Amino acid sequence: MRASDLLGAEVRTADGGRLGVVTGLRCTTDGPSAGSVPAPRVRALVVTGRHVGSALGYQQEEQRGPWLVRAVIRGLHRQTRLVDVGLIDRIEDGTVRLADTPA
Amino acid sequence: MTDDDTFDLHLRLLDRQVVDPDGGMICKVDDVELEPADDGGFVVTALLSGPLALGPRLPGRLGRWTVALARRWAEEPHPAPRRIPFERVTELGSAVVVDRSRDDLRIARLEDWVRIHVIERIPGSRHESE
Repeated sequence: MRASDLLGAEVRTADGGRLGVVTGLRCTTDGPSAGSVPAPRVRALVVTGRHVGSALGYQQEEQRGPWLVRAVIRGLHRQTRLVDVGLIDRIEDGTVRLADTPA
Repeated sequence: MTDDDTFDLHLRLLDRQVVDPDGGMICKVDDVELEPADDGGFVVTALLSGPLALGPRLPGRLGRWTVALARRWAEEPHPAPRRIPFERVTELGSAVVVDRSRDDLRIARLEDWVRIHVIERIPGSRHESE
């Protein structure tokens, strides 16, 4: 599987409800690797109602920049939520289907 | 999981420049390969580069044409994106540093062939003015 299989995919709950689209992949740096750098491990999907402006990164709290741009993008992405990848049931045809509804 | 110990793979890894230990440019990270880990999550196992990796990320016809052209021009019957195993990575920063040179990785044979047999034979291509 590639990251692009997840990025931009629509996320639906077990009962078919639409949560939004995947605009980011939250990682920790504790994955197994035979090299000197631990591999990134995707822990959660960043799911928002809109895709517009997500590549700018302003929906992340630590991101700084022009306040007006930041405010507009955060306003567009105020419904952003993190969905644990453990909730994924299957990935098919650009849709991530969850086994359960996230809290 | 807090924002302090996590980062966004989309923003921090994709589209970054891959360089060798001497800073020589190798390629861009156009996509990454993920595999499910036994202890949870999906782990990055390789960096992918080239039109066969970038194409699926591009919208609509542009993406489909990019992939189709790359397949048509490929030498192999079943072309795949250029792949750098993640174990080759030594630093993740503003650029991704790997422990091998571009020649050692042998990820762009066609480009290397053109450089050696065509570009380097053009008078002045070896910075003769310096």
